Amino acid sequence: MTTLALQRAEPLGSASTAQAFRTAQGGLIERRRTLDFTFDGKRLTGCHGDTLASALLANGVRLVGRSFKYHRPRGILTAGSEEPNALVELRSGARREPNTRATMAELYEGLEAASQNRWPSLAVDALSVNALLAPVFAAGFYYKTFMWPASLWEKLYEPMIRRAAGLGRAADAPDPDIYDRAHAHCDVLVIGGGPAGLSAALAAGRSGARVILVDEDFVTGGRLLAERREIGGESGAAWAARAVAELQSLPEVRILSRTTLFGVYDHGSYGAVERVSDHVAVPAAHAPRQRLWRIVAKRAVLAAGALERPHVFGGNDRPGVMLAGAVRTYLNRYGVLPGRRVAVFTSSDDGWRTVADVLAAGGTVPAVIDTRASVPPQLRRMAEAAGARVVVGGYVAGTKGHLGLTAIQVVDGYDSTETIACDCLAMANGWNPVVHLDSHLSRRPVWNEAIHAFVPGPLPSGMRAVGAAAGLFSLSGCLESGARAGAEAATDCGFAASAEPAPATDPESEGHIPLWRVPRPKGKAFADFQNDVAATDVELAHREGFRAVELLKRYTTLGMATDQGKTSNLAGLSIMAELTGQSIPSVGTTVFRPPFTPVAIGAFAGHHRGKDFRATRYVPSHAWAEENGGVFVETGLWLRPAYFPKAGETDWLETVVREVETVRARVGVCDVTTLGKIDIQGRDALAFIERVCANPFATLPVGKARYAVLLREDGFVLDDGTIARLAETHYVMTASTANAAKVMQHLEFCRQWLWPELDVQLASVSEQWAQYAVAGPRARDTLRRVIDPGFDIGNEAFPFLACADVTVGGGIPARLFRISFSGELAYELAVPAAYGDAAWRALMQAGLPYGITAYGSEALSVMRIEKGHAAGAEINGQTTARDLGLGGMLAKKKDYVGRLMKERPALTDPDRPMLVGFRPVEPGARLRAGAHFLALGAAPSLEADEGVMTSVAYSPSLKSWIGIGLIRRGPERHGERVRAYDPVRDADVEVEICSPVFVDPKEEKLRV
Amino acid sequence: MSEPATTPTPAFLWRPRGAWEGIAKIGGHGASADAPGIRLTLREGQGLATIVAADGREADLRAILAERFGLSVPEAGATAFDGERGLVWSAPGQWLAVSPTRQGFDALPAALQGVAAVTDQSDGRALVRVSGPKARTLLAKGVAIDLHPRAFGPGRAAVTSIAHIGVQFWQRDAGPTYDIAVARSFAGSFWGWLEHAAAEFGYEVA
Repeated sequence: MTTLALQRAEPLGSASTAQAFRTAQGGLIERRRTLDFTFDGKRLTGCHGDTLASALLANGVRLVGRSFKYHRPRGILTAGSEEPNALVELRSGARREPNTRATMAELYEGLEAASQNRWPSLAVDALSVNALLAPVFAAGFYYKTFMWPASLWEKLYEPMIRRAAGLGRAADAPDPDIYDRAHAHCDVLVIGGGPAGLSAALAAGRSGARVILVDEDFVTGGRLLAERREIGGESGAAWAARAVAELQSLPEVRILSRTTLFGVYDHGSYGAVERVSDHVAVPAAHAPRQRLWRIVAKRAVLAAGALERPHVFGGNDRPGVMLAGAVRTYLNRYGVLPGRRVAVFTSSDDGWRTVADVLAAGGTVPAVIDTRASVPPQLRRMAEAAGARVVVGGYVAGTKGHLGLTAIQVVDGYDSTETIACDCLAMANGWNPVVHLDSHLSRRPVWNEAIHAFVPGPLPSGMRAVGAAAGLFSLSGCLESGARAGAEAATDCGFAASAEPAPATDPESEGHIPLWRVPRPKGKAFADFQNDVAATDVELAHREGFRAVELLKRYTTLGMATDQGKTSNLAGLSIMAELTGQSIPSVGTTVFRPPFTPVAIGAFAGHHRGKDFRATRYVPSHAWAEENGGVFVETGLWLRPAYFPKAGETDWLETVVREVETVRARVGVCDVTTLGKIDIQGRDALAFIERVCANPFATLPVGKARYAVLLREDGFVLDDGTIARLAETHYVMTASTANAAKVMQHLEFCRQWLWPELDVQLASVSEQWAQYAVAGPRARDTLRRVIDPGFDIGNEAFPFLACADVTVGGGIPARLFRISFSGELAYELAVPAAYGDAAWRALMQAGLPYGITAYGSEALSVMRIEKGHAAGAEINGQTTARDLGLGGMLAKKKDYVGRLMKERPALTDPDRPMLVGFRPVEPGARLRAGAHFLALGAAPSLEADEGVMTSVAYSPSLKSWIGIGLIRRGPERHGERVRAYDPVRDADVEVEICSPVFVDPKEEKLRV
Repeated sequence: MSEPATTPTPAFLWRPRGAWEGIAKIGGHGASADAPGIRLTLREGQGLATIVAADGREADLRAILAERFGLSVPEAGATAFDGERGLVWSAPGQWLAVSPTRQGFDALPAALQGVAAVTDQSDGRALVRVSGPKARTLLAKGVAIDLHPRAFGPGRAAVTSIAHIGVQFWQRDAGPTYDIAVARSFAGSFWGWLEHAAAEFGYEVA
């Protein structure tokens, strides 16, 4: 028998013993539907309904991975989402997914899994020598071992540690699958599909309430699928199947299976991830791989169950040592014997259930070791009748076996040790309610001395905890509390619900006295399997003063990484409590935060990947720009044409120079649709404009436009633009591209909150109108060929700053504004956006005889710098109108937003940097935006800093780099020379201060 | 100064470009092309206008719209339609007027002079009608609003966002059929979301 057990302890069962550990019958698997899969390249067979873990166990594979730090052989500890050890890489290529819990991976045909963190192979791992260096790798080794010399950290220590210690490898290629997001709403959200959750969902659902049941498993039923229990005379699994069928028949009930509720958020909202296609090799065409749910519920019933606790004893991490509940799951649900000889190590009555289940499945039980001083006699009789050696008041001190368990070392109540051969050890040390979710809103669980476990403390608003999640471990307690809470939750939502009496269950006993760690372990006794934290590491943390739970966690890494200590936290805490002589509740717990289990970043991103990371706004001339080789630039959400290279042009500057020169000599057209456009109407429209603008508008006649400057409440400039008076009580205002939304928000705030008494109506018309700047000496000639005959746009009829309704294309309504950002004779033509594409093409065609060019945001920027117009780099939230040279235009005789605050002493300090122009003293020298100004010969220092260059351009008009910037008392210093010092780009250029208006300072071109 | 002869550009150039042009592809797409779960009807050429009531003139607005245009003004969060012509609530004192043709509301500004500000938005929004057996499921992917018939039925309207893009949508019938309006410059990105979300159900674009 022992020899056989040893053979089975080999990491991979031979093909001839395919599914040698599958029981003869039983379980919820479909034995005739076999599935082929591979593990580390070896072909194996499982059944439909298996997890990867159950299929591996069915094939006798017990060694599944290597541990994080010591590379110790590890197997399968659990049968659920709390698994710390059996982490594998699933799939291959672009779909390779590290750290997948084999216990959660539903088996599918062709599944590829690989063990991780081993080299060269799982059975022979060279780095397991780390285990020999355990003293070096003990708690805090990061902090102590590699302190000196610090310069070696990034080059040597960290790469070395990363190779030696770690988990799986992420895929190298982009994820080929799609991820979806969705919202759901319900009256009652039930979290968990075990007996308590099903009872709650039934009670609530039968009332007609909208119910969502979320269950992480692919078969709903929770532990009813894993235990041999009876409800109302039928098996628990049969009862669960009937409950699910009834729920599915209720139109307002939705069951989300394969879905993990990972987070609880404010106001009854919850995050969940549905593994839509994780159970198939490749998602069906167009099907998402996973779906992220945001669920909003009026009430929630937390029925998340409980997690079983391991014992802390020597070699408790050896493959073959499993939680007793997991052993029963593999036996009863999957029809798999986790071992032929299953010893039981228990501190509770329910551990003894394992004995009967192993026997029923055809295995043997060599021993039952109960740590308690006495056990109910009927349990003892049952085990002894089966031939088990029963040790009461003893414990398992250590384990034996190279890559898997072959024997345990048992210490009995008289301190004598014996070795008992077995290939599986089931440990039962009581259960911890899943208190994670109810703790997400900064709530702490409370200790329940009667069940020796943390239970939910004050619950989030609208949430009820039931069943094992509330510390009610008995099946009858689950059914009863679930039904009651489900009915109450539905009643809260206005439905007439009542809990029917819970059906009878078979008898059960719940006795339990936990043993937090065995007195004298033989070998390393792990508290945290995933992070290789042993009981001795907790002792070390204690000795070195890291005793608070938060420090214990960070110093030892207890409870970190993908499992977040689901099976380990209490073990660590209880040892620290013992060492400090405190109770477990006074040691406390660390904070549970979302997510409950890891969620792929792709699920959060959903559709927002690549170019869809955020929305893109396209201008009306986009199609033409694409057809004509436009090069685009992202400005905020907008994708704007930056410049339009022609054949033979070799770099962007050549193109931009050509565009600028063409505009200045002939004509150009630029899409300025991105500007914000706000329609202002109402009896008090003028009064409103007078109050929001810092310059006067009372004298603006109908048919004219004016430059407008808006201040913030605090006196700094908010934005600038133009306001055109279309009719007596009808204006249209433009705002800069970057500030369009902010200005609209500001105006709405002023209208709704500051002056609700004014009759003003605002509407954004930014999207309604396509708007094009037509600039250059031949702008009027070009426009004449586009605007319908009958509109006089001659210089006298339509002078600088005129505006009018016109028509184009034979009656299409349009607006024409004679305004200029370039300093040339210029217009802006607005047409309904549907005609934007047509109008652009019409302008390009109309301008052909004059040599028209399309120009983009680069040329636009060059020309505004040549004209010294402030833009985003200057209107940066830190400048006043006076700083920008706009002080003279501010109204003296009216009140407006920001009027008083702009007079604060610091804002009127004559020493403030003010806007001027700069040109290099040495012809051809390149200027850099961001350079700071220093007096000639001054050493660079904060004190010597006189200001900053805000915008620069190569000016085709001046054949030189030029800049505008803010320098202390700038306007008084024309002709003075300073240094433009830019240590970031290693530039130090002598520049001369000049007027910011480099081109046409007398503004003659505007008015011809 | 001598002016060159003006030559109007040819009329063929002045074709309106639909908001979905170059974005939406007519036909069947995604899974189950033979029995699509989603039907997307592109709405082009409609008339849209924002109506903002003047201070204290809402009663007059209601009277004029009823008498002259046969339109009733919906309450907050609601629509009032007569066939394909009607009003959709947008904000307190604000509505979106919807008409099947661009000329549908030509008479509005004059009729409402002093009573409400009317701004043409016919080209400012891209409109799509969503119907089919999976219409509600599809929309629930995008909006955080409860669309269950107990919470949101025919005649209801909302202003919200889908995929970080501002939208206004309203339910036309119990099918359910929804109309979604999105700012024109966002139409491309919005369609990208729509295709992504509808693909698993199969969708037909008409």
